[in-house]
Amino acid sequence: MTVSGIPSTEGNLGDCNGKENSVCARDSGVFTHRSVRKIYSSSLPKHTVQNELQLEGVWRVVVLNDPVNLMSYVVLVFKKVIGFDEPTARKHMLEVHEGGRSVVWVGLRERAEAYVFTLQQWHLTAVLESDEAH
Amino acid sequence: MKRIEVKLSLPVVAPLLDVIRELGNGLRERLAAPLTLTDLDEEFRDAWVAELLVAQSGDVELLLALFDGEFFTEGVVAFDEENAEMIVRACAAVRLRVREHFLLPLGDEALETGEVDMLKFAEPVRKAFMCYLFLATVQELIIQHLDASILES
Repeated sequence: MTVSGIPSTEGNLGDCNGKENSVCARDSGVFTHRSVRKIYSSSLPKHTVQNELQLEGVWRVVVLNDPVNLMSYVVLVFKKVIGFDEPTARKHMLEVHEGGRSVVWVGLRERAEAYVFTLQQWHLTAVLESDEAH
Repeated sequence: MKRIEVKLSLPVVAPLLDVIRELGNGLRERLAAPLTLTDLDEEFRDAWVAELLVAQSGDVELLLALFDGEFFTEGVVAFDEENAEMIVRACAAVRLRVREHFLLPLGDEALETGEVDMLKFAEPVRKAFMCYLFLATVQELIIQHLDASILES
């Protein structure tokens, strides 16, 4: 499914340092969602089936409003993390500010988790929602 | 390398640093924003939080280091392409904690609009609100002047 203005497969996370498939949460590459999931997966094989089921389907990355973060900061984060251009970032920021929430990305679970992780690293309140719930 | 130097008023800023340091130190152990993912396995969630905490601690440490001994002699802080991203994030983290610790009585609407009658509140709340505004100003400065550096990094 697609949502207007929302990238479903493109974005900044996959472009870190020009390495395909690297999911980068920081320039250094030290702090990554992928490293969290990799460590977790390798240490806990009994959860493999459950994890695979959880990773299926389409997921939404939703950013919720908070009264603290500046509008300019939220726009910056959307540009940096999701890869929005200025008008799109501003549109989603206003959705968050006025409507309390905005869907900023739609796609597979693991990549959605990476976006949520990075948005949380920037201290935005981001959640994952299953598309099937809507 | 693009660099901004900001001369701050020591008598105004120095009293705020105790609040920033105290809350900043607390951020080594606790996330600034609530973790809202409810469907994560407990152990995966722990790993997720631990990774976020490492990043958050590094950011806050850099922010606190801005206000070291040299700051107290010159009153100058400098932002550049190297530290802008981490500082702007650290400011967000500390501002979230300032709200949680001190500013809840003000109400979220007042915080968002900035229309706060500070005379109604006790000294610790007034000081915390000053910190909150000061850190927002730092963020605005960085975003205004180093936005491109952050996006390109």
